[in-house]
Amino acid sequence: MSVPSVRIAKERIVNLLVTDRLQCTPGTTEDLSRDIFHTLSKYMEIKPEYFQVRITRSDIHIKYTGEKY
Amino acid sequence: MGEVIVITSGKGGVGKTTTTANIGIGLALAGKKTIVIDTDLGLRNLDVVMGLENRIVYNLVDVISGGCRLKQALIRDQRYPELYLLPSAQTKDKSAISPEQMRKLLAEIKDEFDYILIDCPAGIEQGFKNAIAGAERSIVVTTPEVSAIRDADRIIGLLEASGIQKNELLINRIRVDMVRRGDMMTVEDVTEILAIDLLGVIPDDEQVVIATNQGEAVVGTDSLSGEAYERICRRILGEKVDIPDICCPEGFLERIKHLFSGK
Repeated sequence: MSVPSVRIAKERIVNLLVTDRLQCTPGTTEDLSRDIFHTLSKYMEIKPEYFQVRITRSDIHIKYTGEKY
Repeated sequence: MGEVIVITSGKGGVGKTTTTANIGIGLALAGKKTIVIDTDLGLRNLDVVMGLENRIVYNLVDVISGGCRLKQALIRDQRYPELYLLPSAQTKDKSAISPEQMRKLLAEIKDEFDYILIDCPAGIEQGFKNAIAGAERSIVVTTPEVSAIRDADRIIGLLEASGIQKNELLINRIRVDMVRRGDMMTVEDVTEILAIDLLGVIPDDEQVVIATNQGEAVVGTDSLSGEAYERICRRILGEKVDIPDICCPEGFLERIKHLFSGK
């Protein structure tokens, strides 16, 4: 069973748009995400699995889920 | 007061000119006085797509440089009494006009038409800047391909940065069979990635090629693409028209079939 080509296309376009929007190389977005995570973790308790950085045309969204009960 | 709409895409060959022609004709058929302006200096094509290439005397550059009056350059289409074409120049280059000149021309003619459609050249250089100057609204044409979507994203960013707030997406050349087997992005995929409002979807249709061969439009004819353009025109006119799911979800039988064929 082969991978539908759409899945590859979507992955490529999503990565491409982020690097286009930030005008950076592909690896930079991961570095950025990691740096933001480190910075935030100095001030609050967050886990990598509950943390996400999303880059749109005009904004950088930082999403996290706080303390869980 | 007319509304100025620019039809743009970034990437070439995705169907800007065909879209401009068909929406222009659709709006004219709906009784709206419409002008379509080709701003692709040096590579004019809108006249050819519309079958009016033999009627050109003056062009956009002549009007802007004062070489003729607007009325002398406008081409009336006998088939559509409400439609006017202002052709581009074939011998001039992009620098022959400026955004300020475009803005001035549009301000002068705005009162005379209900809709002013601008066919934008490919790229993001001077020609693009000329085409979007004075536009209040845009239609961003894309196809469900990585390269076209990438360029569309860039274009949307530039449109927003230049203060055009109403930017809507037209997804061209969707192939239902390919979407169904997972080899083409869906309308939802593309809309979600680009994150702007969807104006409409045009299926990939041989009739577009056949009509363009003859310098005719598909809008107003009995074809999938023609009907899709007509619905787009009605949406532009402010009607609430559903966007039919052309890649209708598979029925139970098809799903079973796919299950067994291992797709």
